[in-house]
Amino acid sequence: MKRLRQILRAVRAQMRAAWMTAMQYRLSFLGEGIVSLLWTGFTVVPLIVAYDYREGIEGWSFNECLIVVGVFIALQGILEGFIHPNLGSVVQLVRRGTLDYVLLKPLDAQLMVSVARSTPLKLPHIGVGLALAGVMAARLPDPPGPAQAGVALLLLLCATAILYSIYVFIVSTSFWFVRVDNLSFLLISVLDTGRFPVVFYTGAVRVFLTFILPVGMMTTYPALALRGLLSPRGALTALAVAAAFLLASRLVWRTAIRRYSSASS
Amino acid sequence: MNTYAAAARAFPSLLKTGLAEMVSYRVELVIWALTATMPLLMMFIWDRVAATGPVGGYDQNAFAGYFAGTLIVRQLTTAWVVWDLNEQIRTGSISPALLKPLGPLWLSAAENLAAVPFRMLVLVPIITCICLWRPELALGLAWADVPAAAAALALGWMVYFFIQVCFGALCFYTEQSGGIYMGFYGLFTLFSGYLFPLDLMPAGILSVVQWLPFRAIIQTPVSIITGQLHGAAVLAPMAHQLAWAVICAALARWSWRHGIRRYEAYGA
Repeated sequence: MKRLRQILRAVRAQMRAAWMTAMQYRLSFLGEGIVSLLWTGFTVVPLIVAYDYREGIEGWSFNECLIVVGVFIALQGILEGFIHPNLGSVVQLVRRGTLDYVLLKPLDAQLMVSVARSTPLKLPHIGVGLALAGVMAARLPDPPGPAQAGVALLLLLCATAILYSIYVFIVSTSFWFVRVDNLSFLLISVLDTGRFPVVFYTGAVRVFLTFILPVGMMTTYPALALRGLLSPRGALTALAVAAAFLLASRLVWRTAIRRYSSASS
Repeated sequence: MNTYAAAARAFPSLLKTGLAEMVSYRVELVIWALTATMPLLMMFIWDRVAATGPVGGYDQNAFAGYFAGTLIVRQLTTAWVVWDLNEQIRTGSISPALLKPLGPLWLSAAENLAAVPFRMLVLVPIITCICLWRPELALGLAWADVPAAAAALALGWMVYFFIQVCFGALCFYTEQSGGIYMGFYGLFTLFSGYLFPLDLMPAGILSVVQWLPFRAIIQTPVSIITGQLHGAAVLAPMAHQLAWAVICAALARWSWRHGIRRYEAYGA
């Protein structure tokens, strides 16, 4: 218990440092907010054009489709604000050998590299996404109640856990290959598939997005929950998958760290 | 005119340097090329839209052909000089490059050209998969239109490259122009035909958009290499390309020269 309190205190201290840095540039929040709105527009326009020709596509109306877009944008913000700045820095730590300093500290190294550089700068982006999903869900003929909204948020947390784990897998490869910075951009563009309901994809691509890289689960499931169409079994599957991914990421990280032979010694 | 003669003489060596650069960063290059997959996503959604009947003259095969063409054109007319300039101007590493008899833009252009074979390599499996998926896809370029297609690709690349130089030169004043450029890029994805064929847009918007430079970069080359446009029909869109290539080149030249003068005034 004491150990847990210690960890929480360390995490809080690191978060506070990151927030204070960001707060020095308060105007950037406004800029980020405007940019997020702009990009949301860029994401929605192709859908407006497509839905101009059809009332519904594969059982999703325009409004329902925008719920998925909202969830996607929120997840994108989580990735860019809370996952990428942290885990992305590991590649550099490995290359420069400065991971030594992290490993020397008494706290768990994975925990340290996972929270130290979070930036609240992407909160407006997450807010825009959640607002879009929320407004569109409220406009459904059968709007979701607090229970469904809670399940949707829980599923978004699961999605975050899965995304985090995949990023750990990618970063762990840097212990072997050293230069992998732009693999993360590849992940970002694979996540791009999540801006549409997974049923829009056919054949092998849908299989890939369902079973191998569960992007469909990450953005479509929360939207399905808000529509009241997700079975309890589906929600439990998502929880199990997220737990499995987290566990795997822990194992992969432990294996990778054993490979690390500091650059200085 | 002297610089252009010098550039022509030096270009083969620049190309060789560019090629060596691309070879040493081949894995990264391939990964970068793989990130330009947005047209693939759009292909799936439009395929679903057209599943119950053609949309605005496009059926499933036409969409498959259009987006296969978009993937190809995007790989061939791309440029990244704006990111090079952002980096070089901010860190000052552009100074030694400016001392050389030929400006750094020539090397950037040579690098773009040198990357083409690698980018093609990425395309082969993707296009093959699309062809297996929709064997009847509309991707028919007649031999007679090959020169037009090549010219359209070159013009499209020039428009994109020179626009990027303009944004890059902005760094001489603001030190960072990546953010502003991303705004332009967003408009580019919507109005170039990158995410959907422009003729599917409402007519009112289309009548404005067709005067903008964006479609010169994607839609015009795509409609030629997919065989949508052929014979004399390619002339009007290519005249639009040429006009914008000239305008953008002039603008790039002007902003570059002004920027350089300002950079020297810094004494950096």
